[in-house]
Amino acid sequence: MKTLLLLLILFPLGGAAINGVLGRHLPRRVVEIIACTALLCSLSMAATAIIKIGGESFNFVLFEWFRAGDLSVSMSIHFDALAAIMALMVTFVASIIHLYSVAFMRDDPDFVRYFCYLNLFTFSMLVIALADSLIFVYLGWEGVGFCSYALIGFWYGDPVKATAGKKAFIMTRLGDIGFGVAVALLFTWFGTFSITHINPQAATLSAGSATLLTLLILFAAMGKSAQLPLTTWLPDAMAGPTPVSALIHAATMVTAGVYLLMRLFPVIQQSPQGMLVIACVGAVTAFYASLAALAQRDIKRVLAYSTMSQVGYMILAVGAGDIVGGMFHLLSHAFFKALLFLGAGCVIQALSDEHDIFKMGNLHKYLPGVFWLMLVGALCLSAFPTLGGYFSKDRILLSTFIHPGASYKLFWALGMSAAFLTALYTFRMFFIAFPNRPDGRRSSEVKPIPRFMTLILIPLALFALADGLLNLPFGMGKRWLGHFLASVPGAVVDMNATTGMFLGMAILSASLSLLGIILAWFLYGRPKTVKEPNPHPVLSSAFYLDAAYRLLVVRPYQWAATLLWKKIDEKQLDQNLESFGVSFNAASVVMRLWTTGRLSTYLKAFLVGLVGFLALFVGRVTLW
Amino acid sequence: MIEPHFPILTCLILLPLLGCVPFWFMKTSRAIRWWAFVLSLAEMMPGLYLLRFEMGTADFQFVESVPWVTDWGLQYLLGVDGISLFMVALTLLIFPFCVICSWTSIKGRVKEFHVSLFILVSALIGVFSALDLVLFYLFWEAVLIPTYLLIALWGGNGRDQAALKFILYTLAGSALLLVAIIAFRVEGGSYAIPTLMSRSFSFRFQQWMFVIMALAFAVKVPLFPFHSWMPGAYGEAPVAGSIILSAVMAKMGAYGFLRLGLPLTPDAAQYFAPLLIAMSICSILYGGLLAFAQSDLKKIIAYSSLGHMGFVVLGIFLFNLNGVQGALIQMFNHGITTGSLFAVAGFLYSRSGSHNLSRTLGLGKFVPVFMGFWGFFVFAGFAFPGTNNFVGEFLILAGAFERNLWIGALAVPGALLAAAYMLRPTQKMAWGEPATATGWRDMIPREWVSLVPMALLVLYLGLAPTLFLKVINPSLKHMIGALESRGAMTLMVDKNILRTSNNRVPFDGNAGGGGHP
Repeated sequence: MKTLLLLLILFPLGGAAINGVLGRHLPRRVVEIIACTALLCSLSMAATAIIKIGGESFNFVLFEWFRAGDLSVSMSIHFDALAAIMALMVTFVASIIHLYSVAFMRDDPDFVRYFCYLNLFTFSMLVIALADSLIFVYLGWEGVGFCSYALIGFWYGDPVKATAGKKAFIMTRLGDIGFGVAVALLFTWFGTFSITHINPQAATLSAGSATLLTLLILFAAMGKSAQLPLTTWLPDAMAGPTPVSALIHAATMVTAGVYLLMRLFPVIQQSPQGMLVIACVGAVTAFYASLAALAQRDIKRVLAYSTMSQVGYMILAVGAGDIVGGMFHLLSHAFFKALLFLGAGCVIQALSDEHDIFKMGNLHKYLPGVFWLMLVGALCLSAFPTLGGYFSKDRILLSTFIHPGASYKLFWALGMSAAFLTALYTFRMFFIAFPNRPDGRRSSEVKPIPRFMTLILIPLALFALADGLLNLPFGMGKRWLGHFLASVPGAVVDMNATTGMFLGMAILSASLSLLGIILAWFLYGRPKTVKEPNPHPVLSSAFYLDAAYRLLVVRPYQWAATLLWKKIDEKQLDQNLESFGVSFNAASVVMRLWTTGRLSTYLKAFLVGLVGFLALFVGRVTLW
Repeated sequence: MIEPHFPILTCLILLPLLGCVPFWFMKTSRAIRWWAFVLSLAEMMPGLYLLRFEMGTADFQFVESVPWVTDWGLQYLLGVDGISLFMVALTLLIFPFCVICSWTSIKGRVKEFHVSLFILVSALIGVFSALDLVLFYLFWEAVLIPTYLLIALWGGNGRDQAALKFILYTLAGSALLLVAIIAFRVEGGSYAIPTLMSRSFSFRFQQWMFVIMALAFAVKVPLFPFHSWMPGAYGEAPVAGSIILSAVMAKMGAYGFLRLGLPLTPDAAQYFAPLLIAMSICSILYGGLLAFAQSDLKKIIAYSSLGHMGFVVLGIFLFNLNGVQGALIQMFNHGITTGSLFAVAGFLYSRSGSHNLSRTLGLGKFVPVFMGFWGFFVFAGFAFPGTNNFVGEFLILAGAFERNLWIGALAVPGALLAAAYMLRPTQKMAWGEPATATGWRDMIPREWVSLVPMALLVLYLGLAPTLFLKVINPSLKHMIGALESRGAMTLMVDKNILRTSNNRVPFDGNAGGGGHP
């Protein structure tokens, strides 16, 4: 068993290492085979693990990293139902994306670097999924951050892209401060970094400390999962190659924050206030991002905001105490969002790097395969009844609704409105970009793309369509996922809701989704020339959040740095020192007046001194 | 206590000095460089003898004791324990590194340059192995002269002012150190550090001594606000000078705290700890902010060094095992990473002729491997997990939280600042539009030879630091143990002293030097 899990993690690392060291001297095909084989092996390990171990939890130590006194940090694994599902999802999606990348990057000369980072990313992500020691988690956590940084700026010739990478890294690292402090506090209070040891002891936490921890972990998750207010890096991260956006900035890395919250759920559970804050962040982000997505013109930015919004739902699920629902949505989102991004990648490549949906059109005619695949993705994203995203979103909304507390009703309403907006913006994008219209692309403007790029998406599409079967609220295999995850601490399999509520919620969210699609049809769907609208400035800039950061954080920071340097460091500290030296100089100038070299001056001085001394002596004696 | 053994420490101190002699017979600078390189490697050979260091004990080892001036009680007393062993090792490691890095950058007065470097190394090993206070002081001041020459003769454009500021500042800082040494002799009856460590001094006396010593050490580290000599000196020194200043000499200050400050004046150290912690946190945040504003590559590294050394001193004054262990491992790590960063900056200078960021834009396309090395050390510099600095900073932060939540919370943002100020130059250097497109060479063999060992050390210490920790653990445990057992005692005494000192304020300070027969 140990070997199995070890191999699961080590295959991608091995792939990265081989390609990193030897890749420059290997032919292209070999590099690609190494990278993809590593992932496929890893996938088969993950599948074997889930079959052989199932949902039981299983711990072991790989090796001790370092020990200092009573503080011991080891690289240890905690495999349980949650980790099993996560690892399987990560390896599956990553395998598909590796294969897709082979075709997508076929003309890029820098393929070695690309596949090296991609493998390394998968390794880091698996570490996050499986690690037991929080320090080991941190290794993966920073590892994915680094790979994301390197891959966003992959085409570094363009300064804008390179800057986007830096922004993403620093912003997520801001969240890491929360992670660091939380880990340190956990160690101070429990004396261990191990998740398996922390979780059972969580009940001993006082309310205040539990809330503090929850908020800190939430802050970490906000950075990685691009939740308000640390959102602005994600849309910029779309500068990377599209498969990277699919893998890192949609399916896996951005869900790492949610996953961390689920992993430490017993701690979070201790603090109702903390959960309220989590739910609030999730609901508001879901709503905010879906509004912003309404006004985007770049197809990848639409998808980026939709990712933000969907991850908001997952966070909301954690806040509502329903990690099964959260995990369910995480899974279905991974499938349909990867599908959407990869489909968008096909479109972008076919149209010679065109991102603007208003300059697309007629894709039904020229890219029929991609059209249907994207339709599946869009339907799942808008939670079309009975498709993948529907059941998971429905479950989250229901568990928010039945959660006690008036504010949860408000979050539920936000979630509901976001669900409507999701359908609206998804099909806005779809109807503008894909159907035939008179002013759309001509066939000469559409480059052929390898068939393989669409074929490889079919498994993803099937998974996205059928994902709902994993946790059907009725019928055969009812709540399979829920039962599988039942052993995870804090998981609730059956929700405490009446049948009426179930039905009501199902119908309500189904009708909202349909309503959104229909409205989008009326606004954008009828074949006609789509005139380019003036983008709504507030929405398309996502409520000026980026500008606000620049005004309130970046500028003052640069200003303070320069001020401290010029005014304090150079003017005050250094200048004072300088003037100290100058005053010495001045003193020596004064002193020099004495040293005339003439005997008479010295004698005079001697006399004055003697008289003074005697006077002092006499005066003192008399006074005494 | 002392068994007859090979006088390894003396050998290490003397070898570079003797190695200077053949220089006089050498004509070409090529011969001089090769001889310097061979000798710097040869210096490591006797260093291997140090591997016989016995783990698991806090005693001084390889002790050499020869009476020197018996009338004054001076001794030639050398020895190393877990604390100083790694400082000696670091010096030995940095030595060949410096020689390689100045291979082409030093053009004039090659002979004199290497003589200064050799004397400097000899004095540095002396500082880290001296166990007699006067000997320690001798080496301490001896370090200054070659360093001054390195900056003043082979430095950049502003070298005169930088060198003068450096030597005056550090001399002023350590001027009173001699007073402290004599006071220790008068009060404790010996110059030998091991003997003095077993004495206990009055609180008042400790306070005075600690302030005097702390001043000297804080200037050397440097700590905010005593750092204003540093940007100039680091920035203007030649590559080898910057490397040795940041990698080894900055450690002299921290080492001073560990060797003298904490063991000899433990109560005062605890009394002043909040002040030093505040200063080091200021260093971390202030250095991080200022590094962000620089456009000169060397100054960025210099200010980042201020922040890193802030972490080290913070770790020392946390007075718990995690903190001090982290500090010591961080001293070593900082030497490796910052030394390498300065070296890369130097290599870059040899290509672009400038340290200014605007002259070295968009190099990723032309020198990918080179920029890869730079990026590697940058990530090590801001404590990426798996690199050496992570282990050190992590232990220090763990210690900080163990001591006080607020100390930890204030120090943690340092990690973020580091990422911001290190990625900014990396961004500009690696990516974007190149300023000049021609004449770039990627890594040459000499650079490979110098950087690869450093990179391997970064990874080794980042992934398997256990050996390191095992060596330093006993000495530090011993020191912390001594501090803690005193802590219980002083808590009582402390209050008494405060009360008495409130009653009779004046002139008690004089008693510190003279009284108590």
